[in-house]
Amino acid sequence: MTSQLAPTAAQSARAATGGRRRGRGVSQRRVRLLFLAPAALFLLLFSLFPLLQLLRMSVSAVTARTLNAEWLFTGLENFRRSFDGGEGTDALLRTGIFVLVVTTLGMLLGLAAAIALRTRGRWSAALLALMVFVWALPPVVNGSVWKFLLGDRGLFNMIVLELGLRDSPMPFLYSQYWALMSVAFVNSFAVIPFNALVFRAALMNIPPETFEAAALDGVNKWQEVRHVMLPSVRPTTLVLLVLTLVYGFRSFDFIYVMTYGGPGTATNTLPFLGYLQAFARYDFGLGAATSVVTVLGVLILAAVYARSIRREEAES
Amino acid sequence: MTPTTRSAPSLAARAASRATNTSERGSGSRNGRRRAVGLTASALAAALALAACGGGGGDGDTGGTGGGGEGGGTVTVWHYFSDDNQVRLMDEFAAKFEGEREGVTVENVYVPYDEMNSKVIAAAGSQTGPDVVVFNGAETATLALAGALAPLDDYWADYEDAGQFPDSVIHQVEDQTYAVQGYVNLLGLWYNAEILAEIGVEPPTTIEELEDAMAAATDAGYSGITLCGLPQGQGEWQAYPWLSAEGFTYDAPDAAALEAGLARVRGWVESGWLSQQAVTWDQTVPFQEFAAGGVAFAENGNWQMGTAESDARFEYGVVPLPLGADGQVYLGGEGQGIGAYSQNPDLAWEYLTATYLDAEGQLLPVEIVGSIPSRSDAAQDEMVTGNELLQPFAETIETYGANYPSPAIPPESVGDVQLTVGQAWSAALGGQQSPADAAQNVVGQLERLGG
Repeated sequence: MTSQLAPTAAQSARAATGGRRRGRGVSQRRVRLLFLAPAALFLLLFSLFPLLQLLRMSVSAVTARTLNAEWLFTGLENFRRSFDGGEGTDALLRTGIFVLVVTTLGMLLGLAAAIALRTRGRWSAALLALMVFVWALPPVVNGSVWKFLLGDRGLFNMIVLELGLRDSPMPFLYSQYWALMSVAFVNSFAVIPFNALVFRAALMNIPPETFEAAALDGVNKWQEVRHVMLPSVRPTTLVLLVLTLVYGFRSFDFIYVMTYGGPGTATNTLPFLGYLQAFARYDFGLGAATSVVTVLGVLILAAVYARSIRREEAES
Repeated sequence: MTPTTRSAPSLAARAASRATNTSERGSGSRNGRRRAVGLTASALAAALALAACGGGGGDGDTGGTGGGGEGGGTVTVWHYFSDDNQVRLMDEFAAKFEGEREGVTVENVYVPYDEMNSKVIAAAGSQTGPDVVVFNGAETATLALAGALAPLDDYWADYEDAGQFPDSVIHQVEDQTYAVQGYVNLLGLWYNAEILAEIGVEPPTTIEELEDAMAAATDAGYSGITLCGLPQGQGEWQAYPWLSAEGFTYDAPDAAALEAGLARVRGWVESGWLSQQAVTWDQTVPFQEFAAGGVAFAENGNWQMGTAESDARFEYGVVPLPLGADGQVYLGGEGQGIGAYSQNPDLAWEYLTATYLDAEGQLLPVEIVGSIPSRSDAAQDEMVTGNELLQPFAETIETYGANYPSPAIPPESVGDVQLTVGQAWSAALGGQQSPADAAQNVVGQLERLGG
């Protein structure tokens, strides 16, 4: 009896403990969900709903007349129109070039700045503060300043003309060949501080012993960068690369302020073309179709980003 | 029906008027200051009427009851002015209305120019929005078609001063009145009198004289001209006079005429008379360049009088743009309307009638900004007739005045057409496209848009 009772009591005790655990687990899940709810609701309202609206708009005929009325379903007609006349294709090509320049310059100069500012000190701190200031500047202000700097009587042309490098000002913002590159350069400049800060944080995590060991092995500065720093920041590089690609892909503000897509259509990238179609032509359906293509590009990159984050977490 | 339509008799009368005036200008009125100042008022009143659109009024099915009640309240006014003088005008209007109506507050809200339409339309989508909207009158159709403006027909039918306004400043869409302009803005040719005296030329009356003067100014080390080449509506507004001077119109778009217009101004860039940097300039920057000195001419508007007075440290003047027999200059300006979801449309209408539409109120833009009143009685005020700089603009209205936008453009295509032509203008000036390619592209697009 006792022998029978004992296990039963033990089972009951286990069951009771298990029940409490399960009860605690359920309650914990509820608490977690409760904490998750505001963020989920926020995302639902301000990300998912607009995205669904955008998708719906891209397959409908929506103009100023029908924006606040019923939207007529037109299938893929807007996508066909966007790319039929070559306007969308040209913008896609420009976006590709733009993203390439922004990503290359943003990553390389960001890493270079991080390496230069790796040390702790007064100058390093002052430069970092300046970079944070540049990063925090609203793009409209930043773009206006750069528009002035790149003008015929701006700083860069003053230097070029004073040094006698050219007879006439450089057409930074008004030549079809220069304009896209100039705006891409300014976009890169704006992303450098962020990239530098993230790279610097990764570099600061390298144990000092690693550098000491490398120094004992007699490595020079370049070898230190090549064989110590670069391998150490590789996971960060991948994440940052995806973020910079996304940043370049969705760039709009600087084009809006500095060239308005001009001269002609020379700096019309996909996001700016979508803006013109929706808010200058008031063909919201067409603008939405162009924007969906942009969003698709960003979503693909976002998926890569999420994957790389997971991998980095697993490795660490 | 288009927002502004020109009747056939108006066209004929304007053509006759233009023929008469062309001979007058040819006989020696070179700077606009020599003619009797008194001409300004009559020219304004007559020309605004001549360049008129289809009649106002009509039976609106919605709108307010007119009059408006007594008591307090707040009138929210959305505008896109950032220039100091224009902001001051908004403040003066607010002070005037608040002074006349006890307990009323006017709240002026700045919305960037490029965001105005989308914000007003988006607000209407959620059944909110301003009481009064001050917007680009040419874009009335965009706002009206989106249901963002309240029809003014009932108010207008009961408005005792309605007869003071020419049809060209009353914006209608599909037979309903949605906005009225309190003033008219248009382009003229500003010149630096000191540079012209130095190079020994008179203000030009023909396009050839203008080009000769720009060449002489450039030889003397000055810039020839500044204008706006931005690839959007502002660019189209500044391009149209030169394009129409070569025979281009929206009624019957001709690629050869358009190409000629684009090629002429591209030639100014190639000759060094006009900076290619113009493709990055809105309408404010080129006038600042002109006001800074060192530029012989500026294609810019009457609203720059305040800026010229405060910034230019040289003698300056204005003449009509030298556009020959075919040239046209848009009669633009801001339209004032009532938001479709205004909380108090009667009070909004009272604000409009006490400020923009009031005879005394219309003198404030004259004094502060240099705009031309739209009321015929206000146009005869000494402040207008005694202003020598306004006279060339009055002459321009009479000689070249054209409805803005062109009545030939379908209301739903106005934004598209303005962008298309603005981009072609910018592409030709910036060398992205040859004038021939840009012209072919525009005409193809216009055919598609039914313009």
